Amino acid sequence: MSYTRRAFVKAAGLGGAGVLAARRQAWAALTGTVPPPRPLLLHNNENPLGPGPAVLDAVRAALGTGGRAGRYCFDEVAVLQRAIADRFAVTPENVVIGCGSTQILRNAVQVFTSPARPLVAGQMTYEECPSYAEMIGTPVRAIPLTPTLQLDLEATAASAKGAGMVFLNNPNNPTATVLSGNAVDAFIERVLAADPACVVLIDEAYHDYVTDPSHRSQAARAVKDPRVIVARTFSKAHGMAGMRVGYGLAHPDTAKRLAWEGSMPLNIAGLLAATASIKDQARIDREQARNTEARRFTIEWFARAGFRSTDSQANFLFVDIKRPAKEFRDACKEQGVLVARDFPPLEKSHVRISIGTLAEMRSATEVFGKVLGVRAKVA
Amino acid sequence: MPVSRRSFLGALRPAAPALAPAFVAARGREALIAMGHANPEPPAPSAILLDSNENPLGPGPVAMEVLSRTLTDAGRYPTNSRTTAADLRGAIARRVSVAPGNVALGAGSWEILRTAVRLYTSSARHLVTAAPSYEGPERMAAQLGVGVQRVPVDRDGRLDLARMAEAARWAGLVFVCNPNNPTGTVHSAAAIAEFVARVARESPDTAVLIDEAYHDYVTDPGYATAVPLALLRPNVIVSRTLSKAYGLAGMRVGYAIAQPRTIESFNRWAMKYNTNTLAVAAAIASLDDAAHIEAERERNAHARAFTSGVFGHLGCRVMDSQTNFVFVETGCPAAEFKEACAKRGVLVGREFPPLEKAHARVSVGTIEEMQQASLVFGEVIGAHRSGAAEASRVSGGQP
Repeated sequence: MSYTRRAFVKAAGLGGAGVLAARRQAWAALTGTVPPPRPLLLHNNENPLGPGPAVLDAVRAALGTGGRAGRYCFDEVAVLQRAIADRFAVTPENVVIGCGSTQILRNAVQVFTSPARPLVAGQMTYEECPSYAEMIGTPVRAIPLTPTLQLDLEATAASAKGAGMVFLNNPNNPTATVLSGNAVDAFIERVLAADPACVVLIDEAYHDYVTDPSHRSQAARAVKDPRVIVARTFSKAHGMAGMRVGYGLAHPDTAKRLAWEGSMPLNIAGLLAATASIKDQARIDREQARNTEARRFTIEWFARAGFRSTDSQANFLFVDIKRPAKEFRDACKEQGVLVARDFPPLEKSHVRISIGTLAEMRSATEVFGKVLGVRAKVA
Repeated sequence: MPVSRRSFLGALRPAAPALAPAFVAARGREALIAMGHANPEPPAPSAILLDSNENPLGPGPVAMEVLSRTLTDAGRYPTNSRTTAADLRGAIARRVSVAPGNVALGAGSWEILRTAVRLYTSSARHLVTAAPSYEGPERMAAQLGVGVQRVPVDRDGRLDLARMAEAARWAGLVFVCNPNNPTGTVHSAAAIAEFVARVARESPDTAVLIDEAYHDYVTDPGYATAVPLALLRPNVIVSRTLSKAYGLAGMRVGYAIAQPRTIESFNRWAMKYNTNTLAVAAAIASLDDAAHIEAERERNAHARAFTSGVFGHLGCRVMDSQTNFVFVETGCPAAEFKEACAKRGVLVGREFPPLEKAHARVSVGTIEEMQQASLVFGEVIGAHRSGAAEASRVSGGQP
């Protein structure tokens, strides 16, 4: 786009609120600093569609000209708590709002573990709990995965004695696999029996993407049992990774303790969006169907190319690419596709790839084909 | 001291060039209520919010336009959005004239303050703070089982830096809120520099956190930021927030300025993705809009002078505010004043022990809001005084 002096004068001569935007556009054109189209973002398990127009309209309408962005969020936290409670047919006292599920996970480790009460977690699982535990001086008992890349429930439960908390990510990130409701039920029983003080935190961040009928949320159990907590997030199927809202479901006594830091880091836009989004289950159902189709396409593409993925029940795949993840990642990045970081101890053979839209996955698999040298075979 | 209708209206007059016509028309009726005898009207449907030191105007049109546009990126973590958290660190660095490596982000300065308590205190190394001062750090210390030493402010509500320096020996961290919340007072750049030098000399392992949340509202020419001190020493940190003058309290952006090694420690403790994608974009737009902040400082200074003048005319001592709130000796217990004002549709600050018996913290809203609120303040203070006079007359005969 060529830039003329006239265009700039015109932009600069505008009055009102539009002037700065127009001037900035003109400036961007002048300096060539318009951001280039970004790469395909398949590295952080985001929802490629975001929160959707209805949710965004609700946020826009509520923020209006901006006064509310200048106010601390006191009432809005309670409103969201109520909306989530309604969604699960529980009471607001069962609900703790967090700055992403990150805050829920961190606070759980803070409250339920200590140097004397270790954390038990899978060796390849979402790292937030183990890494926070390390920071506060809590020992971590890391339980290796089974040969089929499942969380090892037997070994995990067997390590619960003396622990402060057991962390279970279901579906598990980065392996994408899910454990059946019955298996998790039995696991919880074993942990609770192993130690009278140990709590179980089930992180169900990817719950909305599960299609395996044997899966069951532990939400109903968590609100009744003071020693079971379920964490959820709006960052995945709800498409709100950038808005930072998650929540915990727990017995009221446990919820009170879990609210260790309070709700100060919560932002108004996120709270408004989450309140609108939790009421729209139909959108989440559509999002699940959309993701399932794109996921199936990608898994099948890899299978045809001779690479096995785990049975993904999330919005990402964990694929055995038979080469170091770094090599693959760097080569894909060269071609404009970002895939996830290393996940030791499988960083020499496996890569995690988030599921974008079907169209994005079609383009991405072309790049994967080039990088893996299997284009002809697959086509 | 009784408040007569005339003296009260007189108080409104000197600094009232911006009186809205609607307000002038309504003033007679409201002023009558202000005499304290009529039944208070039910609280207005939308209360005047003078309880949390927020910017009543929000972030302004430029930031809101950017925020609204960024909603399309709401599904992306702030590392993947079109403007990223790294860009925000750059924008802050430009604004404060430091390098991006000198900037740590927080979900409001709330997070920075808590992390500082984590990093520098322990059960063996206590926290020093003022009383009253912002309670964030001492709340965190209490949660971590860290001892807290509170040094009372002086008669003018100023931090007692000499006594705080004494208390700093063997302490892990000294929290210096400058300007101080809730008293509103400020120390000069020279006084802060001298304080930091003294602590470094007498207790070199003690860190100093200088909270400049209200930096952008200061008009005292003797004040200057402590950022140069933070760049000079590894255990001096300046915290700032975009919740005040920048009008982004609801969006949660704060930051720390310190040496790169210190910043790395803050970042290591930071909650992942602590600044949300929308806040990042809105904050960058705000930080690059220096004229907007200057206008906001001027607007606030005007409304603040008006508010201080009103309380002065009501016979209340007002501390020298360099912020967007005033700390007033109303003579009423804070809880009573707050409740009475709330009944009349004006929310003011909570209790700030040890000054909760006779002081109130009142945030500065728009000039129109302050004009309306002033009527309520006059009414509440007047009612309290006549109640107190009545009580002393009744109990007068008894020892």
